[in-house]
Amino acid sequence: MFRGLRVNKPFLFRRRCGLKFAVAMAETDQIVLQTFNLSKRFGHRWAVADLNLAIERGQIFGFLGPNGAGKSTTIRMLLSLIRPSRGTFAFFGKNIRQHGYKIYQRLGALVEKPDFYLYLSAARNLQMLGTLTGGVARRRIDEVLEIVKLNERARDKVKNYSHGMRQRLGIAQAILHDPELIILDEPTTGLDPQGIREIRQLIVSLARDHGKTIFLSSHLLHEVEQTCTHMAIIDNGKLVVQGAVHDLLRETDFFVTEVQVDKPRKALNILKKTDWIRKVKLSDGVLKVQIDEAQRPQMVGLLVSQGIQVAAVIPRSSLEDYYLSLIKPTGLGR
Amino acid sequence: MRLLLQATGLELVKIFSKWRTYIGFATMAVLVPIIMWLVRRYGFGIEHEALNALGGSFEYTGSLANGLLVSYYLMNVLWVHFPFFIVLVAGDVVASEGAAGTFRLWLTRPISRLQVITSKFLAVFVYTLAIVFFMGLCCVGLGMLIVGGGDLFVFDKGILILAQNDALLRFLLAYLIAALVQMTVAALAFLFSTWTNNSVGPIIGTYAVIVVSLILTVLQIGVLAQVRPYLFVTYFDVFFMPFADPIPWGEIALKLSRLGLFVGAFYLISVISFLRKDIRT
Repeated sequence: MFRGLRVNKPFLFRRRCGLKFAVAMAETDQIVLQTFNLSKRFGHRWAVADLNLAIERGQIFGFLGPNGAGKSTTIRMLLSLIRPSRGTFAFFGKNIRQHGYKIYQRLGALVEKPDFYLYLSAARNLQMLGTLTGGVARRRIDEVLEIVKLNERARDKVKNYSHGMRQRLGIAQAILHDPELIILDEPTTGLDPQGIREIRQLIVSLARDHGKTIFLSSHLLHEVEQTCTHMAIIDNGKLVVQGAVHDLLRETDFFVTEVQVDKPRKALNILKKTDWIRKVKLSDGVLKVQIDEAQRPQMVGLLVSQGIQVAAVIPRSSLEDYYLSLIKPTGLGR
Repeated sequence: MRLLLQATGLELVKIFSKWRTYIGFATMAVLVPIIMWLVRRYGFGIEHEALNALGGSFEYTGSLANGLLVSYYLMNVLWVHFPFFIVLVAGDVVASEGAAGTFRLWLTRPISRLQVITSKFLAVFVYTLAIVFFMGLCCVGLGMLIVGGGDLFVFDKGILILAQNDALLRFLLAYLIAALVQMTVAALAFLFSTWTNNSVGPIIGTYAVIVVSLILTVLQIGVLAQVRPYLFVTYFDVFFMPFADPIPWGEIALKLSRLGLFVGAFYLISVISFLRKDIRT
C-alpha cells in the first residue's frame, strides 16, 4: 500500500511498484487543499486516477465533470469517507495521514444530498453536529438557520422538510462551526430557481465577505461560470484542466467579444489587420473578436474612426462550449 | 475522552429518539403486569408440577407462588425471547446510519472513526443495561406488588428456600449478570450491523446464530462437546447461578470472563470493519 511520509516540507512518496518521486508542497499557507496523485480504484476501474489539485485561500473553486467522472469519489476521499487506493492530500499544508481527523475542525462539507436524523428537529441536528466540532453556541445555530432561511422551522422534525429545505439545512451544517474551507457537492440540487440564486449568492458572500474558501463540485456549467473564480475539470477520473476560470476561457475561442456593426465585412478586414487583436471572425453577421478586456474601447474607437457604426459590444464567454470541447463524448451509457 | 463521552451521549439521544427502542420497554410494561395479574387470579401451575416431582416427600399448606417465584421463572425469557429487544436496537445502530446516509455528516466532523464506533458500542451497552434492569424492575417490583412477596422457593436439584431479602439481592446479581449476557448478543448484532446498511440483516443474522447455537448446545452428540466451548450461548445459563447455594462465584467468574472475551472479540472485529469501511451511501 502507498505510504506517505513527510521530510520537512516536501512529501516523499513511494508507490507499491517502488517508483520514488517527490512532490514539493507549496511553501505558502495560501494553499488550503492540495492532492497528490490521489487515486481510487473500484475493482478494476480507476474512478479517480492521479489527481493533483491545488486550491488557494479565498478561491471559489469549481470542480466540474460529467456524471461518473469521479467528483463525488474525490470529495469522499478528501473527507475520509472512503480510503484512497493511492496518493494522499493535505489541508492547510497538513498531511491528513499525519494530522488525522482533527483537521476537519477547519472545514465544513455537504456531500451529495443532505441526510439528517429525520426524527430530530433541524436545531437538534445542528446542535448534535456542533457538539462534535467542539460545541456551538445556541446563538450560532439560530444564526445559520437564519442565513439559510429556516429559522421559523427550526423546531420542526426534518422528516417534515422538503428537499429544498433539507438542502439548505445541509449548507447550514456545513457553515455551522465557521470553517475556513467549505466543500459543497452539488449544493443547488433540487432547489427552485429562487433557492438556487440564494445559494449562489450565499457562496459568493461566504468567499467575498467572510474570506472562506469554497470547493464547489457541480455539473452545472452556468453555476460554475457565475460563481467560481477557479475551476478544475475531470473526466474519467483524470484531471483535464485546472486554473482561473477567466484565464482558462481567455486562452480559448470560447471567450469572445461580440461586435455588431453596420458594415461587418469592412470591419472584419480592418480588425484582421490589427496586431493587438488575437483573433476575429464573422459569424451570422456578428463579429467575434478575441481581445483583452482593456482594449475594447480602443477597438470601438478604431472602427468608428473608419466610418463604421458600432451598434453593440457584448463580452461573452461560453464555459459550456469550452467544457464540451474538453470532455470526450461517451454517449448516455457512461 | 470528553469527545467520546459526548458522542456516546449523542448516540443515546439518537437511540432513544427512535420508537423501536421503546418496543421492549412497552412490551414488558404491558406483558409483565398481565402475567402477574393472571398468576394472582388463577395461580401458578409450575409450582404444583415442581412439588409433584418431589414425590410427596413433605407436606405444605397455602401457596408457594409469589412475585419472586414468578419473576424467577420469567427469567427464562432471557434465553431466546428477550434478545429480540436487544438486537432490534444493536442491529440497527450502525446499519441504519449507513442506510440513511447520516455517516456523511457524522464522519466529516473532527471525530475519529474509532471514537464513533466506540461511542455507538457504549450507547448500545447502556441501552442493554437499561432494558435488562427495566425487565428486572418490572418482574420483581410488579411481582411483589401484584402477587406478593415472601420467601423464594428455587426448584433445582431439590428445593432451596431463600429469604425475601436474600432473594432480592440474588435477583440484583442475576440481572446484572443477565445484562452482561445480553451484551454478548448486542455485541454480535452490533458486529453484523457494521457489515451492512440494512438493519434487518443483523437482526435475523444474530437470531440465526443464537438459535443454531442453542440447538448445538442441547444435542447430545459427542463430537459437539468439542464445539460447545466456542459457542457463547453455552455460557448463557450463568444468570441463574446466583440462585444456587452456595453461589458458585468461581464458575460465574469463569463464564463471565469467557462471555467477556466474546464481547471483546465482537467489538474488535466491529472496529476493524468500521475503520476499513468505505462510506458510499
